[in-house]
Amino acid sequence: MTEKIRLTTSDDQEFIVERNIIERSVLIKNLLNDTGYDEDSEAIPLPNVRSSVFKKVIEWAEHHKDTTFPDDDDEDARKSAPIDDWDKDFLKVVDQEMLYEIILAANFLNIRPLLDAGCKTVAEMIRGKSADEIRRTFNIVNDFSPDEEEAIKRENEWAEDR
Amino acid sequence: MDSDSNSVESSVYSMPRTAELDNNTYKNQRTPAVRNSDNKYPNSKGKDFDMNCDGPAVDVRELAQHHLNNTKEYGGHAAINKLPPEVLLLIFSQIPHKPDLVPLLTVCRKWGDLVVELLWFRPSLTDKRAVAGIKEVMSLERSSTYWDYRRYIRRLNLSFVVQKVDDHFLHLFEGCTNLERLTLVNCSGLTHTPIVGILQGCSKLQSVDMTGVKDITDDIFNALAENSPRLQGLYAPQCPQITNGAFLNIVRNCNMLKRVKVSDCANINDQSILELVEKCKSLIEVDVHNCPEITDESLQVLFADLEQLREFRISQNTNISDNIFRNIPEFMLFERLRIVDFTSCVRITDRTVERIVVCAPRLRNVVLSKCLSITDASLRALSSLGKNLHYIHLGHCSNITDEGVITLIDRCRRLQYIDLACCSQLTNRSVAALKDLPRLRRIGLVKCTNINNQGIMEMIRGRGDNDSLERVHLSYCLNLELYPIFKLLMACPKLTHLSLTGIDCFLREEITRFCRDAPPDFNEHQKSLFCVFSGQGVKKLREYLMQEYQKGTIPPIQMDRVMNNANRLLPAPIPHFNPENRRLVHFRELLAQRIEMREQLPQPQIPPQPQLQPGLIPFVDQFPPQPLNGQGLLPVINRANFFRDLQPVVIDDEDEVMDESD
Repeated sequence: MTEKIRLTTSDDQEFIVERNIIERSVLIKNLLNDTGYDEDSEAIPLPNVRSSVFKKVIEWAEHHKDTTFPDDDDEDARKSAPIDDWDKDFLKVVDQEMLYEIILAANFLNIRPLLDAGCKTVAEMIRGKSADEIRRTFNIVNDFSPDEEEAIKRENEWAEDR
Repeated sequence: MDSDSNSVESSVYSMPRTAELDNNTYKNQRTPAVRNSDNKYPNSKGKDFDMNCDGPAVDVRELAQHHLNNTKEYGGHAAINKLPPEVLLLIFSQIPHKPDLVPLLTVCRKWGDLVVELLWFRPSLTDKRAVAGIKEVMSLERSSTYWDYRRYIRRLNLSFVVQKVDDHFLHLFEGCTNLERLTLVNCSGLTHTPIVGILQGCSKLQSVDMTGVKDITDDIFNALAENSPRLQGLYAPQCPQITNGAFLNIVRNCNMLKRVKVSDCANINDQSILELVEKCKSLIEVDVHNCPEITDESLQVLFADLEQLREFRISQNTNISDNIFRNIPEFMLFERLRIVDFTSCVRITDRTVERIVVCAPRLRNVVLSKCLSITDASLRALSSLGKNLHYIHLGHCSNITDEGVITLIDRCRRLQYIDLACCSQLTNRSVAALKDLPRLRRIGLVKCTNINNQGIMEMIRGRGDNDSLERVHLSYCLNLELYPIFKLLMACPKLTHLSLTGIDCFLREEITRFCRDAPPDFNEHQKSLFCVFSGQGVKKLREYLMQEYQKGTIPPIQMDRVMNNANRLLPAPIPHFNPENRRLVHFRELLAQRIEMREQLPQPQIPPQPQLQPGLIPFVDQFPPQPLNGQGLLPVINRANFFRDLQPVVIDDEDEVMDESD
């Protein structure tokens, strides 16, 4: 029988997850390997992750339990890999706030493929937009003065597309 | 997602008492995938360098809180700005096209401060417009620009805009003290003054490439020694002015040196090399091309010490001899050594080649051009490198014969580059054997005067259509005619370079009009013989010959029946026992012992050997057959690691590795 791991999220929800699923998180995997977790051990606290976010992370890990991802150290392969179709849909249905929380959780838990998929998704939302469009998309307030904005544009014009 | 699915069971338990065990271990384990450290460029190349990535892991909560606290200063309450800067950077770095980053600069201060680093990290000085724009910004007073752009430049590569680079231009970049890589390849208009200037304060500099810079002086070396203790790559070829003192100054101050190229310098001597080896324990590449004062004495120490060596080049050195490897300890293997170049080291003989293939069984590139004593014995030894050998240069090794070449080709099927220029004994048999090299990209057969139409035809026939060949050098193969060259052009769609200098039947206006211009320093006679096609010229020549062929003006040449007879291609059996091979037996036994010593080498899987014609591989036949054959000897190289290992550090991503020019 697969070993079950107990974890507690920031809002005091306890989760019981199969070890091979939760080991998608390199953080948890190392922790388990180093401490010799057994069923008498205390639940692992996840003070940075809300239960609603953790559920999504586990849903992702469940789906990908048999997926082989590029090696974490293989930057080129990871960068060139397109976003998995299932991941695309998975990240499309969540709202922006949840997307960022998933990214933060993936970063904290050290789940590189999920982190990459999240970052690529946000990058896609940014790419090809003007500064104004980006601010509107992400509800960002422009805190530059018009003079500053003008100077920055002038000084970086060389890098623009012709 | 349903909360009571099988694997995720949410329960009403409250959070347990904080257990000591969990909490303490937890802190040590807190390793987010991306940390806020100096290494913000997850996609940058240069894996040879130890990027500073071992800073402390920053608690994500702290960062998030920090940015929440700073919302007034930074971009308001946008949800995306809850992400810590290192994650935002990771997102921005997923936008590969640099111009797409420009609008991000003016979104808000937080984004601008991050994106400016990405944009200026390696300013892309690739066209006139960028050069003019960057020049203008660099010319402005600091007080009149929004950011202090010099702070963000970590890699500066001027090699794509060399015609724009003069002392004044480089001078503008003084003060880029975070510079990590400086690439000045072919910036021949520079004097040492601005180079010395830009180095001031560059304490993080990891590599400098001055290939093609004419004024490499002691001042530059001293500036590197004084400012850049982290220097790992020093490429300063053609530095005749450098004194031993300046070189030693670098060696003593920059102990992290990994790659060193100082060439054409008579002041570099045994003392320089001995101190280099003593002080710089991480050396992986040493290039002392044309430094005639270096002798076996210091190189013996180098080879006894530097087990991790990957590349070694020396040339035009009449001191070094077969004694160069004399002090290599009994069980030492240079498992990482990939490239050796002994061009014009005329005292090197087969002994050295036999020794190096045993000590360095994974050699990939071997250059022995103008090592005039080399014979077929060396080729037999090299053949034991098997699939590892990709690049071989044997130009002017005029003792070698078809036997040696055919043995080599038969065992080293992954050869991509072979140069046999001026190996005057070679015949059509060697040329025809090239059909067995499916990955071949470049052939050099200049002045192999025995070869003729039949050899080329046989090679083309064997290699088939859609040939991988890219560069073919046949100059001064005086017996060649139009038809085989036409066939060659038709069979090789990737061909970008074809040289036919000095061959009568191509020296006609209709053909030479597609040929590129002769080098300006050629005299009239040389110009009249020059016949080299490259790029579009190859394409046009192909089209022209095709038209001519259709008109019937290129008479087909029938294949010679004798050449079609495969037996003719086999080497003649070795008449009697060759005493040279006794030494090889010894080396091979030695190698076997070494491998036994190294338990980490897995037992090779020996594929069944095809039945070979007796005498075809005389070298192998004389030994206990297994496991001592070149194919099965080594563990399979992990391709990814293999190619990563080979990437020279001082070459930026966008740099092309230039093929040799003629």
